[in-house]
Amino acid sequence: MKRRRFIRNLALGSASLPFVSNGFGMQAIRQKLFNFSTGAEDRVLVMIRLNGGNDGLNTVVPIDQYANLMIHRSEIILPQNQLLTVTPEVGFHPQMQGMKDLFDQGKLSVVQNVGYPDQNRSHFRSMDIWTSGSLDVNETRGWLGRYFDSYNPTYPSGYPNASYPDPFAISMGSEVTATCQGIAANFSHAVSNPNNAVNLYQGGFSNDGSYYGNHVEFVGTIIEQTNSFGQVIHSAAQAGNSLSALYDPTNTLATQLKYVAQMISGGLKTKVYVLSLGGFDTHDNQADATNLQAGTHAGLLKKVSDAIAAFQDDLQLLGLEQRVVGMTFSEFGRQIESNASLGTDHGDAAPLFLFGTCIQSGIIGPNPTIASALPDQAGIPMQVDFRDVYASLLRDWFQVPSNEVQQLFSHQVQFYSLAGTCNVGNEEIPVAEEKILIYPNPTPSNIFIKVNLAEGMATAEVRDVNGATVRQVFNQHYSDGLHTIPCDLEGLPAGTYFLTVINAGRTRVEKVVKTKN
Amino acid sequence: MSLVPYNGPWTRAEAAHLLRRTIFGPTHQQIGAIANLSMQDAVNQLLTVGNVSPPLAYDAGETVVPQGQTWVNALYPANPVSNQLCEMARVKSLTAWLMKNINYQSMDISQKMLFFWQNHFGVAFSSDARATYSYLELLRTQGLGNVKQLVKDVTINPAMLMFLNGNTNSVQHPNENYSRELLELFTIGKSDQIAPGDYSTYTEMDVAAGAKILSGYVVNGLRSSTLTAAQALFVSFLHDNSTKTLSYHFANASITNGGANEFANYIDVIFQQPEVATYLCTKLYRFFVNYELTNEVETNIIPGMVQTMLANNYDVSPVLFDLFTSQHFYDVALRGSIVRSPLENVFSLFNATESQINVNLATDYNIYLNMYFAASNMGLDFINPSSVAGWEAFYLAPAFSRLWINSTTIKFRFDLSTGLFVFGIPINGYTLKIDTIPFLNNLSLPSSADAVISDICELFIPKPVDASTHSDLVNILTNNLPTFEWTLQYNDYLNNPSNPTFVDPVRYRVQLVLDRVFKMPQSQMF
Repeated sequence: MKRRRFIRNLALGSASLPFVSNGFGMQAIRQKLFNFSTGAEDRVLVMIRLNGGNDGLNTVVPIDQYANLMIHRSEIILPQNQLLTVTPEVGFHPQMQGMKDLFDQGKLSVVQNVGYPDQNRSHFRSMDIWTSGSLDVNETRGWLGRYFDSYNPTYPSGYPNASYPDPFAISMGSEVTATCQGIAANFSHAVSNPNNAVNLYQGGFSNDGSYYGNHVEFVGTIIEQTNSFGQVIHSAAQAGNSLSALYDPTNTLATQLKYVAQMISGGLKTKVYVLSLGGFDTHDNQADATNLQAGTHAGLLKKVSDAIAAFQDDLQLLGLEQRVVGMTFSEFGRQIESNASLGTDHGDAAPLFLFGTCIQSGIIGPNPTIASALPDQAGIPMQVDFRDVYASLLRDWFQVPSNEVQQLFSHQVQFYSLAGTCNVGNEEIPVAEEKILIYPNPTPSNIFIKVNLAEGMATAEVRDVNGATVRQVFNQHYSDGLHTIPCDLEGLPAGTYFLTVINAGRTRVEKVVKTKN
Repeated sequence: MSLVPYNGPWTRAEAAHLLRRTIFGPTHQQIGAIANLSMQDAVNQLLTVGNVSPPLAYDAGETVVPQGQTWVNALYPANPVSNQLCEMARVKSLTAWLMKNINYQSMDISQKMLFFWQNHFGVAFSSDARATYSYLELLRTQGLGNVKQLVKDVTINPAMLMFLNGNTNSVQHPNENYSRELLELFTIGKSDQIAPGDYSTYTEMDVAAGAKILSGYVVNGLRSSTLTAAQALFVSFLHDNSTKTLSYHFANASITNGGANEFANYIDVIFQQPEVATYLCTKLYRFFVNYELTNEVETNIIPGMVQTMLANNYDVSPVLFDLFTSQHFYDVALRGSIVRSPLENVFSLFNATESQINVNLATDYNIYLNMYFAASNMGLDFINPSSVAGWEAFYLAPAFSRLWINSTTIKFRFDLSTGLFVFGIPINGYTLKIDTIPFLNNLSLPSSADAVISDICELFIPKPVDASTHSDLVNILTNNLPTFEWTLQYNDYLNNPSNPTFVDPVRYRVQLVLDRVFKMPQSQMF
């Protein structure tokens, strides 16, 4: 945790410079010795959408701007002495104790002043921009949809399959998420409760090429996917666990995050979970007139804060902290000046939160500057383009090569170091082209395989000393580059095994020893 | 350039298409009745709005009016706890009643128009059931009338004033919520952002000016124990008396102080822009015809609708008459081009099987309340649209109506079908299950298995099914016996109409067929 304290208050010099340089010197070497990092194949991104436009100024309060905030929003401003101060310049809303604790533990960060150029204050257009990751009105795909499309161009035809038995993304609730809209279909699978088994009647159908025929094929595919994905999700939920006592059963967001923890711990390989909480369009009664720390906005932030704190606690208890990072997003912030209804109208940029042990913790970027006199309808100007946050997560967290990330976006991407602190292990251990690195080795149960793969299909198997295959590790398409892939040896008798990786006409073999556990 | 009229054959297929798009779950006989009229007479009948009677008190929480009478003009209890309980009772009554109206629809478009406008304005529940009732009645009764007048009426309707903060928008503190959506979603629509704050059809300056123009209205009498309705009141000292200037999109028009009527002057200016007609006609087209705007649609169909709308000074009915009698509307390529919304799904199930609920007042309302929850579970909570833009399935490209279907909602659809046709759904001591005997007897030739299946497919599947699907369904009906066995079974039932030994198997076989039909991808479109 000490390492994180050093980097807590990183000032953002200008939007065109990266926040921090990579490399942590001695600290990184310590990481390498004591902390095996997981590879991108095993990683999960959790996105929480705060629907309606969250009032950033009453969420992450710039304490050094308090006097001028008082001029513009005295009706709703939070009492300064009630703020949860996380740094001398920044205070969280009093209801956000859970997130404040995470911040103190180095598991939460705030990226300040996130938005996009020429802010559109329409909820609908702005949410389209956030979900598509593009300012182009003709872009109908989501940013994650483009990412998934790039290596699954035929989806949904032929999915799920042996290489991809699990949904790419799960949207908690009864709607799929626009972030995962691909060319032909949406990559997200809606799940309201993973503990419910699904077995729907599956009839035959054909597509006559008309609108109707295309719909028939779409619905037929959904039914098939509901059954097959439903089965793996249900099995994962049955196999999975949730250990935290902090989840409040009346908090819908907390319940959904609990299901997410359960599915991840049950072994589901879904990479993205999207959750949503509505009610942030606080044009009125944002704060309670008689008690400004209470009211609609306070209730919403408490839900978010409690839920994330419980989820992070659960991940720690489940030993999954290194596999999950999360972020919040909202379509815009709100205007600096409050209105007469104890509320605020649509504005521009706002802070967003990242959480997890692998994130760059701290306050990233400076507080917004609030002038004493403002033009009508003033919002917070954007400094960080949200598309660069997405791009940086793809690079840092899913380890998509930066040139491939750039291809997913139409603007010139500016990368920031946001979620790469667990990558130090990966970067420090070089792997020669002809080698496979296995660690820990010997092992009581699980190993990580580090290997350089060429673009294309790759298979890996564990064979015993007689050459019989005892476990299939993977058989799927990989991108070019270094991959870290987890492999479960649980259940195999103690002894010597050989791990074989076949890719691009090359076969590599490495010995692995399993000890008694 | 108005629309090219349809002059092809007028058969059951065209009648069924017209009815599927304009009412919920047409029956076998309704299709026959429409097919027997001329197309023009049929459309005219559908465009004539009938009456409904108001919702009735049925729940114990209602302590002001007796059960069986309406509460829509009644006071609320003064005691805060009773007031709250009474409101809950009225909300239940209101939501159940909305479903009852669809189940008992007259053969006209009014329920679909109510759905269209509820989606268009996106108003969520108002906290006073009387206010929401009168708002929804405004939409239902005026939905085919003059849309400029409708927008004016909606603007100062208490439900809308509360929903988008018009009731707290004042000269001292303008609130932009309503003024933004009035332009963006209700009238002119927005397009590309061509400059900072400029959305091609209006600017942020218009949003700010609009807030001033619309200022000064408040709502009085919410859940009042002394006033029989929520009222919109204009309070002149809350109104911004300055002269407001609009952007170049409105020819820099000046709106001078007009007091209580200033908002109407502003709406007149907005409706002078022909983009309003284009925006509204596009929405009507997408709701009633197809989500995709092909080149042909954008160059011929929408402009034709716009011309009719402008020639009729924004009356809706003539536009829909032209559309529903046009060659384009009956294009076979557009049959089944829309995925059923939850409401279409639920009421295709009840209405087309001629299942009108009629047990007793409280049971009926409870059953309708459950229908409301069923639709809600599938993603359509009728009195609380997803957002002020309505439900995403009506606007979000590229999926549009496909957004109604996902792994969660398809399971609800299947479960509902199983419940209603196979297991029965217990509701307050009554088991709701669809009796298929009256339905069967009204088909063209109930004794013929082939005819029964053909009729059922016509009702629930928008395009002809292939031979193997047809025979699969016949086999479910006959339990894999030769078709003459069904004829014998049916005739046995006719000769013993009250003997369960003969009635039950007939009823059950049809229930099984319908359950299967509702689980086929082909029946999810209309």
